[in-house]
Amino acid sequence: MTTQLGLLATVFLAGGALMSLEMASFRLVEPEFGNGIEVWGSLISVFLGGLAIGAVAGGWLADRRPALWKLGLVLLAGGAITAILPLCSDLVFAFTFPGEGAPLPAEWTGGQITAYQPPDLRWPALAAGAILFGLPAILLGMVTPYATRLFVHQLPHMGSGVGQVYGVSTVGSIVGTLGTAFYLVSWMGTTWLLTGNGLLLASLGIVLAAAHALRRDKPPAA
Amino acid sequence: MNRKVIFMGLGAGLAVGLLAIWVAGQGAAGENTVVRYDRASKYYRIRVVDYPKEDRRCLMFSKSRGVQSSMILGEPDQLDLRYSQSMVAALALHPAPKQVLLVGLGGGSIPRFIQRHFPDLHLDIVEIDPDVVKVCQEFFQFKAAPHTRVIVMDGRMYLKRSSQTYDVILLDAYAADRVPFHLTTLEFVRLVKSRLKAGGLVASNLWEPASNRFYDAELRTYQVTFHQTYLFKCDKSGNFIVFGSLAEQAAKKDEWAKRADALAAGKVFGFNLSNLVHAEYERLTDRRIAEEPLTDDKAPVDTLRHESPKGFEEGPAP
Repeated sequence: MTTQLGLLATVFLAGGALMSLEMASFRLVEPEFGNGIEVWGSLISVFLGGLAIGAVAGGWLADRRPALWKLGLVLLAGGAITAILPLCSDLVFAFTFPGEGAPLPAEWTGGQITAYQPPDLRWPALAAGAILFGLPAILLGMVTPYATRLFVHQLPHMGSGVGQVYGVSTVGSIVGTLGTAFYLVSWMGTTWLLTGNGLLLASLGIVLAAAHALRRDKPPAA
Repeated sequence: MNRKVIFMGLGAGLAVGLLAIWVAGQGAAGENTVVRYDRASKYYRIRVVDYPKEDRRCLMFSKSRGVQSSMILGEPDQLDLRYSQSMVAALALHPAPKQVLLVGLGGGSIPRFIQRHFPDLHLDIVEIDPDVVKVCQEFFQFKAAPHTRVIVMDGRMYLKRSSQTYDVILLDAYAADRVPFHLTTLEFVRLVKSRLKAGGLVASNLWEPASNRFYDAELRTYQVTFHQTYLFKCDKSGNFIVFGSLAEQAAKKDEWAKRADALAAGKVFGFNLSNLVHAEYERLTDRRIAEEPLTDDKAPVDTLRHESPKGFEEGPAP
């Protein structure tokens, strides 16, 4: 019972951190890429792609000796990568979207209305998003299927178990989205938002690993 | 059977409701206006609305959130909105402007004014939305000119990528009723400063109908970046123009007004620029503002907008 509540708390927090990261990612890239729809679309796709890969990978891993500490390790890795994102972002932007020195008309031509069309932002934005947020999104995507495997003990209750885990995770995501949009962005700024979410996930991972070590009732046989 | 009836009832109710909303919307559009253009672009919902009784044509980016630009059809080169008149006071503050950058084309009031009265001035215009450029040409008499060019790009991206420098930079980039956050921060204002020639200056339009913390923070951001800062409150229209100048000496009110007279000599602006400077001049440099500047890392513009200002600490001017 305690384990089950702990698992629900885990998917709640992981779901919240995921969406908080997604909101922070918009703020992080906007000064560089602007706030056009390609940029939003790219970032949303990166997160969804990460979740998809993570879901398959997490499900696969969950069928091989599922253990709480392994879930803790996934969270710890995701959190650690997230926490250092602010340090890498400038480098990634410079690599994916070299800014200064791009060709612009140097001389006054005049006569025609439009002198210069914008650079194509789609691939640079997608690439920057994937490099920065791809791995955290994959790792966080692994959490829900893995936690579900630990949560559901009996096949006849599979449906309600899966439903509960996904429901709680989604509510966590809502809280993460609104909390970030309404409060956290103004309280801590983008850097601390990323680092804070990273630290939260990493500590959650450590707590799960500790819980595994301390727990008396061992996980259900596969 | 029961369920079916309920669903059908709900469906019918929904349909009637939507119809009622649509009809109400049509009615509310009013009879004194003619909608010339109403289409979603990549960034906005662009609307061009005529007010035949006033002989005016307006550009809007949303139904309810303010007018982006207004043009008197009979006198298209006149600056119809008060804030645009205050913006061009920047041309008077600079001793001899030759190259000007405008970020945000909108309905093209300022470009038409500059093309008409200062045809030798080089004018670069950065506009993010290609459809705004098209609408401006089609509906707002915006024309190509030897010294005018339009760059379709995000304003900040252009400034970063181009090494072009300017005497005067006019910032008027708005997404409906707000400036995009990445055009409000210290990093951006510093970038603007780095693209000014010696003695150059920037004028930035803020639209804040009610004083709030964002407004204070934005003033502070300019204040910490520029030696000389000024603030024009555009006759209670809700617009405020912040001027930031690289000039060593502060310009006194009379000086600026005198230069405005010189600038307007022999021209018919349709308004008295000198009087406007006299009425609105306010020095911002020494005012104490109890807000931190906005940064890329921390610029919660939307939250700050809804918070009452901390209030100016002791200092000159209201």
